[in-house]
Amino acid sequence: MSDSPAAAAAPHEKHAAGSRHARGLPVRARLFNGGLFRIGMNMLFGDRAKLAMLLCGMTFSALLMSQQSSIFFGIMGWTYTPLVNIRSKIWVSDSKVEQVNDAKPLRDTDVNRVRSVDGVAWAAPLHTSLTQARLFDGNFKLIQLIGIDASTLAGAPAVMVSGDLEALRLPNTVIIDEFGAERLARTDPATGKQVKLGVGDTFELNDQEARIVGVCKAKRSFTGGPFVYTTYDRAIRYSPGQRRTLSFVLAEPAAGEQPEAVARRISATTGLRAWTEDALSTNTFWWYWVNTGIPVSFGTTIILGLFVGIAVSGQTFYAFVLDNLKYLAALKAMGATTWMLCRMLVLQAVTAGLIGYGIGVGLASIMGRKMAEKGMPPFVMYPEILIGTFLLIMGISLASAAIGIIRVARLDPASVFRG
Amino acid sequence: MSSAHSLAVSVRSVDKAFGSGEAAVRALKQTHFEARKGELVMLVGPSGCGKTTLLSIIAGTLHADAGEVEVFGKKLHSLSHGELTRFRLNHLGFVFQSFNLIPTLSVAENVAIPLILHGLPHAECLERARDMLARVGLKGREETRPNALSGGQQQRVAIARALVHTPPLLICDEPTSALDKDTGATVMEIIRDLSRAPDRCVIIVTHDHRIFKYADRIAEMEDGRITRVHDDPSTIDTQYS
Repeated sequence: MSDSPAAAAAPHEKHAAGSRHARGLPVRARLFNGGLFRIGMNMLFGDRAKLAMLLCGMTFSALLMSQQSSIFFGIMGWTYTPLVNIRSKIWVSDSKVEQVNDAKPLRDTDVNRVRSVDGVAWAAPLHTSLTQARLFDGNFKLIQLIGIDASTLAGAPAVMVSGDLEALRLPNTVIIDEFGAERLARTDPATGKQVKLGVGDTFELNDQEARIVGVCKAKRSFTGGPFVYTTYDRAIRYSPGQRRTLSFVLAEPAAGEQPEAVARRISATTGLRAWTEDALSTNTFWWYWVNTGIPVSFGTTIILGLFVGIAVSGQTFYAFVLDNLKYLAALKAMGATTWMLCRMLVLQAVTAGLIGYGIGVGLASIMGRKMAEKGMPPFVMYPEILIGTFLLIMGISLASAAIGIIRVARLDPASVFRG
Repeated sequence: MSSAHSLAVSVRSVDKAFGSGEAAVRALKQTHFEARKGELVMLVGPSGCGKTTLLSIIAGTLHADAGEVEVFGKKLHSLSHGELTRFRLNHLGFVFQSFNLIPTLSVAENVAIPLILHGLPHAECLERARDMLARVGLKGREETRPNALSGGQQQRVAIARALVHTPPLLICDEPTSALDKDTGATVMEIIRDLSRAPDRCVIIVTHDHRIFKYADRIAEMEDGRITRVHDDPSTIDTQYS
C-alpha cells in the first residue's frame, strides 16, 4: 500500500453527479457497445498463447482452403486450354465428342459441309494431336501439335513473343510456345548449360525436321505438353499415320449472325456437333469435374481444412472461454447480460477469424506468386475463392464462438461467490 | 429494526434448497434478515451455514425457493431474469474474495467495467475510473496490469470497481480473507470511508474476526438461519475466524 487511501477518500456525495448519471442511465440492449468490445479485444489480445493457437487454426484453414481451391481452378482451367490458345467462335466436332481434348476425327469433306451452312462466314480445318518431339540431345518430349489452315492461319496464336507468324507458310516450320522453348531446351556444347530454343533452332517430329520460326504466348495444357503450331498439311505429316486427321472445324459466323444460332444450324444441317466457344469450354470443365477424381481430391483437402479449422479454433476458443469463465461470471453478476457477453465472444472469434483469414490468404497469395513464376502448379485465385474462403472462415469463427456462447449462456452468475 | 422506508434490504421467510429428494440440502430455512440504509452489516457464521447463499439471493444472482426479498424497494422474487440483471447493474457493487480482476485488462479498464456495462462513452468511463483509483490510493497505477499489484492493491482496485458507478448496495464476499492483517485493515478502512453514505448499505460476508470492529451490526448465521444480531460488534466472540 503506497499512500493513504483514507486521505484520498472523498465522501460518497463527491460523486453525486456521477451517481445520477450512472443510475439514471437507461440500460438498453445496444448492438454496439464500444467499451465492452474494447474489453473483449483486450482479453483476446492479452492472452497471446491462446491467440497464437487460434490464429494458427484460422490461418491454416484459410491457407489450405484458398490455396487448394486456387490450384484446383488452375488445373481445371488447363482442361480447356486449346480453346484459349486457338480462338474461334464456333467449334465443330464429331457428334460423339464431349470435350475439347477428346477429338474424334472427322472426314476432310466436313470442312466444306460446314462452309455450306447458311450464316457461316468461313470454316477452316484444325488438327490437334499429342505426339513426341525428338530433341537435339536425342531425348523425346511430349508436345501438343496444332495444325491450322495455311491460307487463313485461322486458329494461330494471338501473341507472338519473337519471330513471324507468316513464316509458318515456309517449309518444315513450326511456332512453339514459351513453355515449349524452355521444355525442349538444348544443351550448349560450349558451356554445358541448358539454352532455351528460339527462332532458327530445330527438332524432329516423326523423323522430319521442324524449324522454329516463332515463339508465342500460350496457356499451358492439361497434358503438360507445350503447344507447337504448324500448318494443317504439315501437321498431318508430323503425326504418326492416321486414316482421318481432321480434329475440328473452326468456323466464324457471318456478320449479324449469333454464334449460338449458327452452331445450332450447323448441327442440324451436317449432323455434326457444333459448339460455341463458351459451350465447349463449359462442357470440358464439367466433363473433367464429373469424370476425374480431381474435384474429390481437392474437395477432400478443402473440407479437411475446414474441419481442422473448426477443431483447432473451436477447441482453442473454448479453452479461452473456460480460462475466462470466472471473469465472465463476475461480469454477469455485475450486470452484463448474456446477450452482451455473446456479442463480445462473437467479436473475439470473428476478429481472430479475420486476422487468420488475412494471414492465410496472404500466405496463399505469396505461394501462388512463387508458383506462377515457375508455372507449376497452376494457381488461379478468383475473387469467388476469396469470398468463399472468407465466408467459411467466418463460419468457423461463429462455430467457435457458438461453443463458447453455449457455455456462457449456462453460466450461473452466482458461481462467482463460490470461489 | 427500523421503519420500512429506511430499509435497504429485507429478507423474509426465505427458503433455499440445493438438489432434490433425499439428497436435497436446505441452505436457508425460513431466514429473516434486514439491513438499513447507511449501515455496514456483516454476515458471519461457520462454513456451510448459508451466508453465501443468502448473499447470492440478496444480490439477485440466485432465486429463493420461497419467501420474499426486497432490496431498495424492489421485490426481487417478482423480477424477470432480465430485470434482475438490470437491477444488479444499477443497484449493486461487488467485492469478491478472489478479486476477479481481468488480468489482461489494465487496472483502469477493470474499474471502468460497470460504467462500460451502462453504455457510457469509453473515454468518460476511463476518466471516472481514474478518479476512483485516485480515491483508493492507486493514482499512477492506472495502466498497470492487476497481476503486477499486491493482493491489497488488487482488492483496492476491486473496491474502486464496485463503487465507481456509486451503487446503493455494496456486496462484499470475504473481502479480507486473502489479505494479511494490516492490508485487510487498510482495505476495510477504504470500504468504510468510501462506501459510507446515508443512502448506501454495505453487506459483508466474512470469517475474519479482525474486521468485525468496522461493522455497525453483525448478523450471526447458523444452519441456514440468522440466529443473532449484534448491534454492538464488540459483543461477538471470535469463533468464526
